This record gives sequence, structure tokens and C-alpha cells, in this order.
Amino acid sequence: MSHCPSTDTARQERLYNMYKVFFDKAEQERRWNPLRDVPYDKIRRDAPESLIVVAETFCLVESFLPDYVAKGINVVRPYFGQAWFSANWAYEESKHSVALMEYLLRSGRRTPEQLFDLQNRLMAVSWALPFETARQMTIYGCFQEMATFVIYVKQEQRSKELGDECLATIFRLNARDEIAHCRFYEDVVRVLLEEDREATLRDIAFVAKHFAMPGVGIVPDYDDRVQVMRDEGRVDRSVFLQKVFFPILKYLGVTRQELQQAAWGCHTSGTGVATPADAAVASAVATPRTE
Amino acid sequence: MAFSRMELLEMFRKTASEIVERDFPNISEATVISELGIDSLGMLEIVGSMERQLKVQIPDESLAGIQTVKDLIELVEKRQSL
Repeated sequence: MSHCPSTDTARQERLYNMYKVFFDKAEQERRWNPLRDVPYDKIRRDAPESLIVVAETFCLVESFLPDYVAKGINVVRPYFGQAWFSANWAYEESKHSVALMEYLLRSGRRTPEQLFDLQNRLMAVSWALPFETARQMTIYGCFQEMATFVIYVKQEQRSKELGDECLATIFRLNARDEIAHCRFYEDVVRVLLEEDREATLRDIAFVAKHFAMPGVGIVPDYDDRVQVMRDEGRVDRSVFLQKVFFPILKYLGVTRQELQQAAWGCHTSGTGVATPADAAVASAVATPRTE
Repeated sequence: MAFSRMELLEMFRKTASEIVERDFPNISEATVISELGIDSLGMLEIVGSMERQLKVQIPDESLAGIQTVKDLIELVEKRQSL
């Protein structure tokens, strides 16, 4: 994000007001207790192992919370509203892994030894920020939270189909938090688009090009686990475009063509993402005809 | 100027190779794009580049349904004929 004093002060006020609205709504409508508000007595004890793998995978990804918080909050530290949102986000996300751990343990499908041994293996690696700037990480948050929301919703449906009301409830509560997080990030990006549309579009194009979900490279057997999640949730490439990418662009008031133009702008200024074929087209357009 | 299906296939192969920085010598229309290791956002990049080269625009709502190279070529052919 830029460091122009007048922009910063105006942005500070906007972000603070946005955070107050977010926090108040969360307190009124969305607070839940993973130890008291989940019907653990409705666990389906013979649920297919694939569903358990789904729950376990979500739990493992959420277990990197200390890294997400520590590294993420420092990027937005100068912006009070967004830093305080990050603190609240951390509290809300912490409940997701507790609920999933309780499910895995109380279902009897994982022992404490298995789970905590897995946690120890996880902590041997750490998650790194996928992008450098606060603006890029905020954009990343839009895609990551929306994708997680969509996956949780699909897994909630699947859990209901398989008769596990407990897991369906956990996925529903988690999904409700994730979409609220996404909306906050989207609203911040809207502010950034107002302040500097061109630079923000370039960053959206850059983040979209290099986007990966947080578990990649750090969760053991991640590719196999993701395949199980895709099969269980009936998720394919069309879901990401239809339910994540295009809805985000629509909410932000950004077109795919604008993003392509912004990506092309990066290429011509040397920070490039476009192709030599694009360069040939641009050259043909730019060269005056002499015939 | 309308490109033939063979030319569109070659354009896809070349564009995909440039964007993903890998060669695809054995692509056919039946090739499933995800099996080339190209994710949905990578596919959008390829589509965007081909739109620019061909001076056509494919509606966003059509893009989610693209699974094979044939699906993409047919969408482009339709736009070329408009």
C-alpha cells in the first residue's frame, strides 16, 4: 500500500470504521463456542474414511494459524483497522481447528497420539507469506477465504448426505466465518481500487497468476488429500471460476479484460506476465502502417 | 480472418507453452486441459492471450465449462464467425 500521509489518514479512518462494522456484526450474529455449540453426540462413527481425511486436512491447514497470524498481522501492522481485524480473524480461525480436532478425537477415528504426532510434524515446517505487500496479501485473502468458504459449503452438503450432522455443523459454522472474512478483505480491496485502480489491478492480476492455497508445500501428502477433498466435494476447475474467481471480480467491480490489460501493462513495463504472442500483437497495433 | 481448427490448436499449444513455460508436443483437441498441469487461472491467461491474438472476446460465463482443448477451440470458432 502507498505511504502518502493524506491517503493514509483517510484510509486509516475508513479501515477503522469498516472494522467496527465487521466486529459488531460478528459479536451480534456469529459468535460460537466449538466446545458447546457443536452436536458431538450426532457424530456418525462409521463415516467413510474419505470424510475423516477431509476433516483432518482442514484441521492440518488451520493448524498453521500461529504462522498465518504472526506473519500476516505484521504486513498490515501500520493500518489499525486491518491489524485489529487480523487479531479478530485469528480468534475466529482458532475455533475452526479446535472444533475439527474435537470431532476427530471424539469420533474415535484419530487418537490423541496420532493427532499430536501429526501436529509435531507440521511444526517442523513453517508457512511463508506468499506475497510481499499488504495490498497483495489482502487480495490473496479474498481468493483464499472465498475458496475455503466454497469448499466448506460443499463438504457440509456431503457430510449431510452421509448422515454426519456433527461434521456438517462444524463445516457450516466455519463457512460462515470464512465468507465474513472474505467480505472484509473484498471491502478493503474496493478502498484500494478507489485510491489507485491501476496499481491495484496489477496486483490482482499478479496474485491471481501466482495464487495457491495455504496448505501447498507444508501439509503432508497434500496432493493426495486435495484429491480426496475434490472427489468428496465434487469440486472441479469450473467451481473455482464460477464460485470464487468471477464472483470476487464482480463484487470488486473489475472485469477480466481489465485484469488482462493490467497484466499486459506489467509486461510492457518489465514486471511481466503476458506472452511473446501478446507482444507481437501489441507491436503490430503500435507500428504505423506505411502502405 | 478466420483461423482453421488446426491453426487454433497450434495457437493454443504455442500460447500454453509460453505461459506455462513447458512444451506440449502431443496436444490434440481431445486433450483435457487440467491434465496438462494447467489450473483454471492458467487457462484464463491462455484464453486472454488467444482473445487478444484473435481479436475476439469469449463471455465469462462460457469459460467455466472449458474442460478440453476442443471446448476452447469451439468457443473461439463461434466468436470468429460473429
